Amino acid sequence: MASSLATVESFVEGAPPGELADVINDIKTLTVNEPGLISKLGPAFEKYNEEQFVTTKLPGSSQQVIISSHSALGDGRYFDVESSSSFAFDHTTQKASSVQSYVLEGSQADLAKSTLKSLATYAKEHYPNASYGVYPIENDSKVAIVIVANKYSPNNFWNGRWRSMYIFDPCSGSLEGSLKVDVHYYEDGNVRLLTKKAVSGSVSLGTGAGICKEIAVGEKKYQEELNRGFTSLSEGAFKGLRRQLPVTRQKIEWDKVASYRVGQDIGGGNARR
Amino acid sequence: MASADPFDSALDLLRRLNPKHTTTHLNSLISLAPDLTEDLLSSVDQPLAVRRCRQTGREYLLCDYNRDGDSYRSPWSNEFDPPVDGGASSAAAVPSDKVRRMEVRANEAFDVYRELYYEGGVSSVYFWNLDDGFAGVVLLKKVATPGSSSEGTWDSIHVFEAIDRARFTQYNLTSTVILSLSTNSNNLGDMDLSGNMTRQIEIELAAESDEQQIANIGKLVEDMELKMRNLLQEVYFGKAKDVVGDLRSVGSLSESARDRQAQKDIIGSMGR
Repeated sequence: MASSLATVESFVEGAPPGELADVINDIKTLTVNEPGLISKLGPAFEKYNEEQFVTTKLPGSSQQVIISSHSALGDGRYFDVESSSSFAFDHTTQKASSVQSYVLEGSQADLAKSTLKSLATYAKEHYPNASYGVYPIENDSKVAIVIVANKYSPNNFWNGRWRSMYIFDPCSGSLEGSLKVDVHYYEDGNVRLLTKKAVSGSVSLGTGAGICKEIAVGEKKYQEELNRGFTSLSEGAFKGLRRQLPVTRQKIEWDKVASYRVGQDIGGGNARR
Repeated sequence: MASADPFDSALDLLRRLNPKHTTTHLNSLISLAPDLTEDLLSSVDQPLAVRRCRQTGREYLLCDYNRDGDSYRSPWSNEFDPPVDGGASSAAAVPSDKVRRMEVRANEAFDVYRELYYEGGVSSVYFWNLDDGFAGVVLLKKVATPGSSSEGTWDSIHVFEAIDRARFTQYNLTSTVILSLSTNSNNLGDMDLSGNMTRQIEIELAAESDEQQIANIGKLVEDMELKMRNLLQEVYFGKAKDVVGDLRSVGSLSESARDRQAQKDIIGSMGR
């Protein structure tokens, strides 16, 4: 049997967008007999924050910065190119502190900055509320691009998150990554949309503008495909499971159905097919 | 929130974690808080398992209401599989003769219902005695034909009480539908749309015969399923899609803002 810690770690990992605090509250109530358990969840919170591209505001700033493995400096610190700063991040409280200047240098610095600029234009056109970041990775050999858009509406019992992540390799011109959507609806129920698409393309013009153009084309295509996915599930699998009405387009005459003698072949039902 | 009830917290968690894996989460919660085992098992709906009746060869559905220990009662034969030793426990798990006769009729009726609405699938109805009436559960399950690129499973669980009053019967119905849909392709990747929704209704109806009881229950379940099917359609294909559109806009946001402004201007100029 899994340990209590492994169990609650899996609950943290499965927390829907914007609902981590609620999940933690539930865990606290369920583990009052093991009060030390919550304090052992640091690694699970770190994993959640980095995988979900959690955003935080730097002290004294209104700009959101992204937590991800690509912007990690180690020792609980992360960097942000846009604001040229690094900061400490508390994975439990999701708060940033100890901001320091972090000036990007190295061979990918210019590409990262120009990509960031193009990304800003693109995000403004297609994301009502997104955070994004560009980070040189793997010893300054590649560039990681992250977009995250959240919309929380707990009063209406729904929350959603869109995540895009790309790795651009300037040597080969390849752009690879993934697109993920997570939507939770929980009024008198629990409904979840989870999607994941691996993307793989190449950028002929390895500039910030070239990269963003490739991203824009791919994301538009994906969202259109996703919209078709809704239609095909609705028209296909959903319709095939249960009809809205019988073929006759009439509700059942229960008085007749209920008074058939037991064991008698209920011909009416078959004949109507 | 130190005084929060562990059972409420467990239910809250199940309302938040991925509904596709409710059974896994339920088992995790039980291992974390064994005190809650009975309460959770009796109040959390899980996808229904199917078994074939040894006596009649027909398929039936398994749930907490036709279970006795590790055995399940077939609605078609009224026999437990594996057989249970005679004794107090099995007597309690089988309805009285009168209620069993209604249960048989209800199974026949919902078999017709299943064929007309589901065109396949499995149905089972289980009744049990109450001091002031009877209660029951109507179960329906359909799995989408495998082989196509999309998959789907529908489980309906309708639990009701029919309580005798002086001049009518009071029906309390709690209905849950568990609906899982998924599809994948090269262009789309993986798309999973899964969940469950629950609705309740209380109503008083005249029921002067067993036939009328079954007709009443049939109508209630039929109306509830129609309502819930519409609701599921709205949430799965309307709401979920709208939220994706709120996160990212396919079209240009500045263009749609310009269009909105232009529209406003036109309306404004017409008003002058």
